[in-house]
Amino acid sequence: MTHEVGRVPALRADRLGKRYGNVWGLRDCSFEVPPGSIVGLVGPNGAGKTTLLALTVGLLAPTEGQVALFGERSRAQSAATLARVSYLAQDHPLYRGFTVADMFRFGRSLNPNWDAALAEARVAALDIPLKRKVKSLSGGQQAQVALTMALAKRAPLLLLDEPVASLDPLARLDFMRDVVAASAESGLTVLIASHVIAELERLCDWLLVLNGGRLQLAGAVDDLLAGHAVLTVPRDAGNGSLPGRVIERTDSDRHSTVLVSAPAGAVAAAIAAGPPDWAAEPAGFEPVVLAYLRRPRVATVAAGATGTAAA
Amino acid sequence: MIWVTWRQHRPQATTALGVFVVIAVYTLILGVWMRSTFDSDSIGACLARSGGADCGGAIASFMHSVQGGPAVLVNLVLLVVPGILGATVGAPLLGQELERGTWQLAWSQTVPRTRWLVAKLGLVIAALIVFGAAVTAVVAWSWSPLDQVSVRTQPPQFVAEGVAFTCSVLCAFGLALLAGLLLRNTIGAMVAGYFAWEVFLGVSLLLTGPLQPFTITKTIPCAGAACTAASTNSVPPVTGNLGDLVNSVTRAGGHLVVNYVPASAFWPLQFVVGGIFLAVGLAAAGAAVWLLHRKTT
Repeated sequence: MTHEVGRVPALRADRLGKRYGNVWGLRDCSFEVPPGSIVGLVGPNGAGKTTLLALTVGLLAPTEGQVALFGERSRAQSAATLARVSYLAQDHPLYRGFTVADMFRFGRSLNPNWDAALAEARVAALDIPLKRKVKSLSGGQQAQVALTMALAKRAPLLLLDEPVASLDPLARLDFMRDVVAASAESGLTVLIASHVIAELERLCDWLLVLNGGRLQLAGAVDDLLAGHAVLTVPRDAGNGSLPGRVIERTDSDRHSTVLVSAPAGAVAAAIAAGPPDWAAEPAGFEPVVLAYLRRPRVATVAAGATGTAAA
Repeated sequence: MIWVTWRQHRPQATTALGVFVVIAVYTLILGVWMRSTFDSDSIGACLARSGGADCGGAIASFMHSVQGGPAVLVNLVLLVVPGILGATVGAPLLGQELERGTWQLAWSQTVPRTRWLVAKLGLVIAALIVFGAAVTAVVAWSWSPLDQVSVRTQPPQFVAEGVAFTCSVLCAFGLALLAGLLLRNTIGAMVAGYFAWEVFLGVSLLLTGPLQPFTITKTIPCAGAACTAASTNSVPPVTGNLGDLVNSVTRAGGHLVVNYVPASAFWPLQFVVGGIFLAVGLAAAGAAVWLLHRKTT
């Protein structure tokens, strides 16, 4: 194993599973994410998104399998794991009675790599006074303070759980712009769990789709989009005659619209060789994600996502 | 962790300091007043002269002015303070973090949660011990005249002097801490912790009362008026020691059969009652640490 440093995945899950009583919250989840990427984590409520994040931070211990951060196995109750990852939980919890300065001192007390200069510069740029109490800040400002704390921890992996759910549209844009800027500045790997698929489309270069505790789609966004196509075919064309695997098919009176998972070359060859009334167009981000969310039993994990897992 | 613990418990620390100041000022005033009453009844001189045998009238007069008055108020306060203080400090330590979701912030910093909890517990318990010791010291000074001529093996003195008070605070603290982890709610944990503590307060009151483990029965020879006048209310008690608590006196020929709690039972009983409080409090806190450690599975 002579990986270059750059090739060690920032985040790697290996047959990861977590059972609550008799119910699996997450099962058989394997993927890899390269360092520096911005990863969208999509799934309906109860899909296992928060479970995956909690397993990554070590707030939970897996029932089976493991997660590795930058090549080191993530462990519950481990300072070494906690030092590698910043976690911004849903609803950006902060101590309401603390001032912003108190929150930063809290961060400094509990984190050896705390970047006080970064924290203070960020809130100064956002016009958030250090002496204000958290409870007197707006929701957007609270989210920014929480993000500032997560960034000032100086961990190479940042996990955001529904970070903008409670924010108004302008605050959402500001928040996400800051996340992207921080990632670009320091090579941070960011994983964002969100319901807002359109938002992720603009930000993410990597995608994980969870549904019912199973990983359905994992890979680089470009690869995933290149590996899917929307075909328009006559209604009587059987699925077996189409290239690749059918993910979703919508039949109208005479035609069917079919989302297939197939290499671009195979689609082009099938169109060239097939009847003249077959047509193909590239698949969009949102239609692909929604198709997988509607078909809980189908899974496509791109080759790049698990490439080294077999080695 | 020291600053974090201090900052998170600052409101409670301020309140506890306020409670201490009120108790201290009140008991100190009471102590000064008690000393002057003690002197004006000339009890000190009488005790030195006769060892208490001739001081019945003076002691009765002193006890009358002390017990009917403000000491009762202090007793009531001291009976509920350990429970309220312990529950108020213990309940939010985990309960509020879980209730408000801030546990996700607290436990995802670079300090693992078990170390976080153990460090907090160490600091908070140390502060509670200082508080308990300070209250106990002030009360002991204030009541030292009373202690010379009255029974210390039962409330009020028993619960406010020695180690029972501090252990009682720790008992309520541990119970409320565990309740906070189980109920994930601050107010609920405060109430649950307080009433669970009441159970053990009840146990302690039984041990100083009907279930006193250090009760002795002794036969004392007597003659004449000493035999006929002897009762449980005699001052000084028929056993001759002002600190003894006489439960019953029966005459049998030229003898008195006395059932009583000797004054020397004070410390053994302190260790029994304090030990129960402390064991319950530490067991509850230990259970909270263990459950939190296991919570990842």
